[in-house]
Amino acid sequence: MLTTPTGTDLYALGALFPIFAVLFGALLSTLLGFWVSRRVLTYLNIGMLVLSGASMIALWNQGRAAFTQTRVLDGQSLTTASLHADNPALLLGLVIVVGSLMTLLVSLDTAWRARISFPEFDAMLMYAVTGALLMAFSGDLIVLLIGLEIMSLSGYVLSTLQDSRRAEESGLKYFLLGAVGSAILIYGIAFVYGATGTLNYAEIALRVGSVSGLLPQNTGILVGGALLVLAGFAFKIALVPFHQWTPDVYSGAPTSVSLFLSTVVKVAAFAGMLRVFSGALADAPGWASVLQILTAATLIIGNTAALLQRNFKRMLAYSAVAHTGFLAMALLGTPATGGAALTYYLLVYTLMTAAALAIVAALQRTEAGMEITDMRGLYYRHPGYAVALAICLASLAGLPPFAGFFGKYLAFQAAFQNGYVWLSVLAALTSVAALIYYLRPGMLMFMPDRTPTREYAHGQRPPTTLTVAIGVAGVTVLGLLPNLWYGWVSNPAIWQLLAGR
Amino acid sequence: MIFLPMLGSLLLLVTPKRWRDEMAGLLSALTLGIGFVLWRAGGSDLLSVQWVPALGITYSTELSGVSLALAMVVAFMSFIAVLYAARRIPNPGTMLALILAMETGLIGIFAARDLVLFYVFFEDALLPSLLMLAIYGKQHRMRALVKFAAYTLFGSLLMLVSIIGIKYLGGSPTFALADLRAHVLPAGSTQTWLYVAFLTAMAVKLPLWPLHAWLPDFHEQNHDSGIPDVMGTLYKVGGYGVFTFGITLFPDASMELRPILMGLAAFTALYAAWIAFHQADWKRLLAYAGLSHMGFVALGVFSLNETAVIGAMYLLAFQNLYTGALFLGVGMLQERTGSIAVRVGGVMTQAGALGGLTLALWLASIAVPGLAGFIGEFSILLGAYQVYPWLAFLAGITTIAAAAYALTAFQHTFWQARPPGGIPVADLVHTEWLILSLPLAVAIFFGVYSAPALNLMQPAVKAVLTALGGN
Repeated sequence: MLTTPTGTDLYALGALFPIFAVLFGALLSTLLGFWVSRRVLTYLNIGMLVLSGASMIALWNQGRAAFTQTRVLDGQSLTTASLHADNPALLLGLVIVVGSLMTLLVSLDTAWRARISFPEFDAMLMYAVTGALLMAFSGDLIVLLIGLEIMSLSGYVLSTLQDSRRAEESGLKYFLLGAVGSAILIYGIAFVYGATGTLNYAEIALRVGSVSGLLPQNTGILVGGALLVLAGFAFKIALVPFHQWTPDVYSGAPTSVSLFLSTVVKVAAFAGMLRVFSGALADAPGWASVLQILTAATLIIGNTAALLQRNFKRMLAYSAVAHTGFLAMALLGTPATGGAALTYYLLVYTLMTAAALAIVAALQRTEAGMEITDMRGLYYRHPGYAVALAICLASLAGLPPFAGFFGKYLAFQAAFQNGYVWLSVLAALTSVAALIYYLRPGMLMFMPDRTPTREYAHGQRPPTTLTVAIGVAGVTVLGLLPNLWYGWVSNPAIWQLLAGR
Repeated sequence: MIFLPMLGSLLLLVTPKRWRDEMAGLLSALTLGIGFVLWRAGGSDLLSVQWVPALGITYSTELSGVSLALAMVVAFMSFIAVLYAARRIPNPGTMLALILAMETGLIGIFAARDLVLFYVFFEDALLPSLLMLAIYGKQHRMRALVKFAAYTLFGSLLMLVSIIGIKYLGGSPTFALADLRAHVLPAGSTQTWLYVAFLTAMAVKLPLWPLHAWLPDFHEQNHDSGIPDVMGTLYKVGGYGVFTFGITLFPDASMELRPILMGLAAFTALYAAWIAFHQADWKRLLAYAGLSHMGFVALGVFSLNETAVIGAMYLLAFQNLYTGALFLGVGMLQERTGSIAVRVGGVMTQAGALGGLTLALWLASIAVPGLAGFIGEFSILLGAYQVYPWLAFLAGITTIAAAAYALTAFQHTFWQARPPGGIPVADLVHTEWLILSLPLAVAIFFGVYSAPALNLMQPAVKAVLTALGGN
């Protein structure tokens, strides 16, 4: 095999800028933490995230790549890159930035109460975002893995940062299961390498896509590899039966960390999955039917388990599992419909989940969250937050005119049009359960109640309110005018580039 | 006309407390006024703009024919409900805002000419009604609420899948009704299954046995004033949905399923009337009476016979008037006697006007000739008879049953001897006169002189039925 590294020129560095901005913030937080207060660092990091987001918008449609290589393969030369700043990466990166921004804003208010107000919190968070962006921008399996590990390791630390039994337990659980997940993923990557002889998405896609490139004796290895990679990712996005850690970790970790884990980490993992399964392995046999079964199991178990929860934070954790099922449906669509649906849904999911958890973070008395029955009469104590939470819950349940409806609709459509009719019907049926568990707290809030307040008295603060406002405005505007975001993501041409071809 | 009430609902949030009643009244009156203007102009034309072009979702609305008639009734009853709410409920700001928000959803449902838009409005109307139940409901509202929402959503999500299927499998470029009609699915099991999914949503709303179980609880647990119930009865968009979308988009399937559906409808009508007879609570009684009427509507729509369909639409429109007013009447009764039980007794001796108006509304409800209900029910029976005589006969028994349950209940409440130690009952005051007599006046008007409404509906019904290729 002839490999000609062409080197990285300055132009290609542009592709790295969004990641560098975040990484720079992380390094600054690590170093400056000794001299500067945490609040200053947080503002600094918010600035860095905004900068990163702005640079992503500037990179739109430029299709830059870094670490390119030109190889001669089957007689034709093929230029591949390990890192792409192509449009899918930028769109997913923007979603990650939005989620991270909301986390930081909430942490301004609640980190002190949750006893995690150290500079290390910011540093770890920014490292995690760096990893998340690497996953979204990845052009080969190694970069993907590095991103995943950076993100996961930071995530383990984040969920253990609080000095409490519950946080330690959840962090340990997360770490152990996450490590198993990573191991399986690495094993799967090795299999894929064994089957195709390459780690680059574009080359894998080329080998898998053409019958001549795929040697018959390798097919079994490829299928095995794809399934192992799928299982590894399933840990990260909490697909049933790899979801067991989720409720414990989400409810045990400090709420602002749960917010981060359930939005940014999940978005990044889905971004990685989109790259691998809709891009590199799109034509590989076997994984789709397994994913279909996992999705069905997730829809059923996630939704029914959420129905039985008494604690609101825990219910949101299970609802995150249930939403994984809906999101995974989009992966079953064709790359064009599925990618667009997934990206739209991910943004909406981030906005509504982050806003809902921000309200929980602000109003809860302890980090254990609130009981659902505690929410009775919230409307009469915190009218603004109650209405906002109701909107978030309606959106999570998929009620129009909020954006959750279009997210769900797109996911249904993607799966339906690709022939998974029974899965769409199943998703519709489980959505009824979803509606009921969202409805209960949603309606309890509006029921009059004369008992004294059960919330933390000083929870309502400007940065949290701003986060909630962003989330609520987002789901409302995107619900009424879905084209604002969908218009960007719906172009089928950009989803042909997933594997970097 | 669609978004004016919603605008009003939002405006109410910023209006100072003492002007809220007037504000809500003004806006709902204005909406009704626009409805009249549209009526004079013969309905609004089709407005269609791209909404989400990438998905082929359009924002298409049209208010004409049947939909205009139904929208007018919605606007009218919302106005009445606002009038009553302003007087009856202390600090009515939230309730008024919810009424107006719901009005938007309902008018939107009738105006929508795009399936996704229809779905969006369909769900939109749900939220305010849930909130009304949550904020103003009674003790066991949580159960009623969950039941109601579960039934409704079960149906509508199946409908969503059906909507996706009908566009994708039919190959239509957009979800606009006109485009979908041009790309109707070929007859076969696919069409039938999609129709069943679509119908499930409509049957929940209609409601049709066996998907009706949410209805009595919903009404029983709602606020005593009956205002949410008024909005609830306006909620019966199922018949309209089947008429506008169901028949046109699934022509072969609706022919195929006709005997089963008509049978279900006739059974619903009779069964509901039978149960209504045994109710001890006015609201449950009214709920079952409404269910019985809806069975009639369904019978008419499913029969696919021109006379019957027109009758069904007529009944659908005007049933709201008198049933709604009756709910409000029950609210007034409750305000005076403190209970909605049927066996209060002797109200008539002190509140003659309330009793008289209630009786008149009941007569409208049981389809006494000269009142609007008669025309509807008679046309339905006439049309259904031409299709399946026996089913029409079965449904016809319902009218007798209706007279029995209505008059028995009325007799118990208003005539029977007053219980010893009963509190004095005041008669109607101020706007209450208007609230009960305006709907009655409209019901009488259209019972005697049905031409304006029929002229409005007939072309629309004909247009829909020609899509079937004649009958």
